Amino acid sequence: MAWVNALLQGILIGGFYALFACGLSLLFGVMGIINLAHGDLAVIAAFIALTIAPATGLPIVWSFVLVVPIFAIGGYLLQRTLLQASLDRSPFTTLLVTFGLSVVIENVVLEVFTSNGQSLNIGSLIANSFNPSTAISISYFSLVVLAIAVVVLACLQLFLSKTMTGRLIRAVADDREAAQLSGANYRHLFAIAAAIAFATVALAGMAYGMYTEFSFSSGSANLLFAFEAVVIGGIGSLWGTLVGGVVLGIAQQVGAQINPAYQILAGHLVFLAVLAIRPRGLFGVRAAT
Amino acid sequence: MPPLLHLQDLSKRFGQVVIADGLNLEVEPGAAVGIVGPNGAGKTSLFGLISGDLRPDHGAVRFGGRTINRLDGAARCRAGIGRTYQVPRPFEGLTVFENVLLAAQQGAGAKKNASYALAGQALFRARLSAEANRSAASLGLLQRKRLEVARALASRPRLLLLDEVAGGLTDPEVRELVEIVRAANADGVAIVWIEHVVRALMATVDRLVCLAGGRFIADGTPTDVLASPAVREVYLGTAMDLEVPA
Repeated sequence: MAWVNALLQGILIGGFYALFACGLSLLFGVMGIINLAHGDLAVIAAFIALTIAPATGLPIVWSFVLVVPIFAIGGYLLQRTLLQASLDRSPFTTLLVTFGLSVVIENVVLEVFTSNGQSLNIGSLIANSFNPSTAISISYFSLVVLAIAVVVLACLQLFLSKTMTGRLIRAVADDREAAQLSGANYRHLFAIAAAIAFATVALAGMAYGMYTEFSFSSGSANLLFAFEAVVIGGIGSLWGTLVGGVVLGIAQQVGAQINPAYQILAGHLVFLAVLAIRPRGLFGVRAAT
Repeated sequence: MPPLLHLQDLSKRFGQVVIADGLNLEVEPGAAVGIVGPNGAGKTSLFGLISGDLRPDHGAVRFGGRTINRLDGAARCRAGIGRTYQVPRPFEGLTVFENVLLAAQQGAGAKKNASYALAGQALFRARLSAEANRSAASLGLLQRKRLEVARALASRPRLLLLDEVAGGLTDPEVRELVEIVRAANADGVAIVWIEHVVRALMATVDRLVCLAGGRFIADGTPTDVLASPAVREVYLGTAMDLEVPA
């Protein structure tokens, strides 16, 4: 029964990894930007929620109503300015710029919010769980996060395949120059993709803050898991990212079941195995290079 | 009335490689001009300079009387410059129709119903209507070339830049493509066509220019240009180069 529980916990935590990773996957899939500040953005989202909720009287759980639009607008503007300017130079520049952004964000957060651990307190919601047997405990909150991840990915998939803006985003991702010569304004389309990516990372950051304690440095620690989910699932595939998150989650939980010290290591080993055996990931359309 | 396209003293070099060396060219509205020249003469780069993929070091690209040096590729497309690529570059994740619809909406600025009609019309003109719902990735070479033309036509260009659309095709396929291009030209679209398949050009254009080493070395009727000593020397030179073992 303990193994079944490990499997279930793995799937649940996988939902969170997928939600966290989908923005990273989108930015890389569309613009080729590897966003090293992704994890720090999630942390700022949690801190903003922490600040906004008491100021507006919104319950913390509902603070996403404000944080997500703020992030979407921020993502659009950042892409139109800093990120686009670095993309115009070279892909390597975007790596340096997002690394710089990560350092700046961590230090600003440290200055403003100190190094104390914080958490988004949602009261008993976090503790409620469904227990079909003594060994199995399914947290409602984790289930909700998994459901949000599935809904977000499904909506994103529909948006990209069924709407004209989605088709345009796929076209500029495929061949930016040719899309331009068909009259498409790729800067605007890139910025829309960035707005979506930022909105999803805001959701992930808030979910993280509700799960557990966070501080200025939590972002870079979690960035690695998002990367692993994207690479395991395959770059350019949104459903792959979900599967990647779940595979990573299961590997960690099963590893922890063998020996609590193996939790993180088991995830890394699965990541390495996928890189070695199937470099384009489980559902990837192109190789991770 | 100003010329539709006017290149003034256009120059561009990549390091030591000169790809345009003070080019001057005027193309009238509705004209049909062919460009020939040996490989590496700077023909495709010239299209890059006109369509906005490349920026000139100096000189001006004027279109419809307006200097467009500062416009990017998307703005130039919307201004009325359509272009095909030598190696077709369809958006492979989209269907044939979606490829063309994108150009109708973004390039020609057509909305909703009108954009679908324009896309349908462009596919019809490029004789690709029957393939509308196929994935662009599944097309063969001839159909990919037609898709390039359809996509360019859907942006409602006043000037159509064709980059070796006849290359790699069989004779009957070339004849079909020539008919498509001639029909577009008859509708008032000015054509500038880079082509090695000279018989395709002879059937379409009434003016030929020859580009070599980033300069125009001949300009006139197709027969005169092909007969000119300068052009013959250039082609003879490349032919001899090819025979020298590397």
